[in-house]
Amino acid sequence: MKPGKSLYLFVLPGLLIYLVFFVYPTLQGLVLSFSRWDGVSEKTWIGLDNYRRMLTGDDIFGKAFTNNLKFMLSVVVFQTFLSLTLAILLFKNTRANIFFRSLYFFPTILSSVAVAFIWGFMYNPNVGVINNVLGKAGLNVLAHNWLGDPKIAIYSIAFAQIWAHTGQMIVVFVAGLQAIPHDLYEAAHLDGAGRWQAFRNVTWPLVAPAATIVAAYTTIQSFKAFDLIFALTGGGPVYSTEILSTYIYHTAFQGSEFGYAAAQSMGFMVIIAVITFGQFKLLRGNRVY
Amino acid sequence: MKKWLNISAFVLILALLLAGCGKSGSSEGGGASNAAPSGEAGAKASEDSGKKEKISFVHWRGEDVKVFDELIAEFTKQNPNIEVEQNVLPSEQYLASAQAKLIDGTAGDVFASFPGAQFETFVKANLYVDLTGADFVSNYTDNLIQAGQKDGKQYALPYQLVYNQPIYNKKIFEKLNLTPPKDWDGFLALCETLKKNGYIPIAFPGADIGPGQFINSMMMNNNTDEDIWNKVETGQAKLTDEWFVKTLSQIKELNDKGYFQPDSLGTNKDIAGSLFSQEKAAMLATGSYMMASNKQQNPNLEQGLLAPITVPADQAVFEGIHTTTFMLGVNAHSKKQDAAKKFVAFLSQKENAEKYANETGQLVTVKDVQYNTPELAESAKWTDKHTRFQPRYLITVAAIEKAVTSAVQNVIAGADPAKAAADAQKVVDQNLKK
Repeated sequence: MKPGKSLYLFVLPGLLIYLVFFVYPTLQGLVLSFSRWDGVSEKTWIGLDNYRRMLTGDDIFGKAFTNNLKFMLSVVVFQTFLSLTLAILLFKNTRANIFFRSLYFFPTILSSVAVAFIWGFMYNPNVGVINNVLGKAGLNVLAHNWLGDPKIAIYSIAFAQIWAHTGQMIVVFVAGLQAIPHDLYEAAHLDGAGRWQAFRNVTWPLVAPAATIVAAYTTIQSFKAFDLIFALTGGGPVYSTEILSTYIYHTAFQGSEFGYAAAQSMGFMVIIAVITFGQFKLLRGNRVY
Repeated sequence: MKKWLNISAFVLILALLLAGCGKSGSSEGGGASNAAPSGEAGAKASEDSGKKEKISFVHWRGEDVKVFDELIAEFTKQNPNIEVEQNVLPSEQYLASAQAKLIDGTAGDVFASFPGAQFETFVKANLYVDLTGADFVSNYTDNLIQAGQKDGKQYALPYQLVYNQPIYNKKIFEKLNLTPPKDWDGFLALCETLKKNGYIPIAFPGADIGPGQFINSMMMNNNTDEDIWNKVETGQAKLTDEWFVKTLSQIKELNDKGYFQPDSLGTNKDIAGSLFSQEKAAMLATGSYMMASNKQQNPNLEQGLLAPITVPADQAVFEGIHTTTFMLGVNAHSKKQDAAKKFVAFLSQKENAEKYANETGQLVTVKDVQYNTPELAESAKWTDKHTRFQPRYLITVAAIEKAVTSAVQNVIAGADPAKAAADAQKVVDQNLKK
């Protein structure tokens, strides 16, 4: 056996795990998606009925997808912008900057349920700190029913998500910014470039790959958000925070429609795959050599 | 040499991996009922040797584990050859988590189930031993165990009795000279008086359980047909019909007149409970099951139960809403059915049901039980009244149940009742029973 080929054997344990814990359940889910099954009775083969129902006869699935897009866009745009801005302010390794970077990173180490508990309390219209502070500052007009108003609930949760994950993205941007050679700024300065021109012509092109990674990661992360939404609102009120992952959970574990939930999961997988593919294309477009 | 080193390393990794899997598999297999010999052979061996038999009791009430531990200790004293192990699974995923264990008989020799959809599913799957004619069934109040019957057979015994209707603060009512009203105009007048006197008339947990609880008493007299949800689920009745739109309109009226606390859709049951316990709110739109925790928060609280009557007094058919739940059953797939029945019989004895009731603050369906707290005694008065089984529990399609509770949230959020009903009916149409 050639040493080169034998190295492939080391991949085998990982491959086995992947096959057993990912490929097999996925295939099983695919088979299940063609059935009607309540988890107790016998499975009934119903062909493409679940997919037909998902695409043409289930308004809540469409609503959950729309909510997912709203959530994703809010999180991607604001989290990327905020983390880049903070990274630009904090990328130099001074004591104060390191302290603030650690401070902003802190929420990342909290579990989503802890984040949900904190924000659930802060947003509470009766005892929450946000409305209380706004009231004491004479800004009652800004006080809202943050999680109870169907028009704004999804954005309130998006804000909590941004709070929880911005610190993580700052780290990626700081690494990208620190990799930019200082000579380029000196050259730009000698050419008469101001701060904005230096950012536009030096910083942004060189930090763009990091921005793409942040955007790609944040997109997938926000699409898969489940625990934060589940713990904060459970998908309500009036489906306003129902996203695909919470809807699949409700279909399976509250509705006991495991076949239909499997079909929704397949649909969800395709959506994630399309988005990931789009992000991958974008990533290639932003590569700087 | 290098080649052999590579192969050896690979074999070692694979062996460790498989050993890990094997270990996890075996511990999982024995997890829930590890000490119990599973299968017929195991049961027979246990009987032959006269060794202890271990049965598993699957339920969802984590808060009752302590009192069940005490009851189990007493049961084991009386039946030294039977051990009982509790397996508590979260209620939200109870069906999904319990079913596999119940079907293969590895756990849940005795198990609790919810009435309505879950009971129907379990009956269809032949999970229950027929308890009809067993001596201990006569310990229960006849009309409170109907939720566990199907086709004339008693498959499960509802153990708990709950009244899913608002709780009120008796002292506030007395202070303002108010009594539970007999009709809708009276209910509105009551709320107005409470509001004028600085109280929140109704603490409404709109973020979680409120819509699903309040809809019961709000609709009970607007549509008195106890088969109405079956008709909605099969397309014979619609949510756009007058009774449902009227129910939504009345809920909206309460909200628009400021009889719920502000921003009620952002309020969960704990916060609503606190508003009531702190005596800021005069009514709490949940159910009798919260009376014990309210009392813990405020020992001076005096609580009663009432249900809004949404029609003129002479048209009211029902006085309130009850649910009989936590239905005890013996698993038809269990190899230890005799031991399991003995345990159910033990729980069905008056003194044991009494201990359970008084220590958990829950009413029970067992006859002649004496309650030792004012809250339980107050709730027990309702057993003589004409109450209706919780309508929401009779919705068997989860998507339709959610459409109904979402319609309640929708009108509180400002939607027109007819539009909210139409939106909900659209979901119903997409989920009609086939």
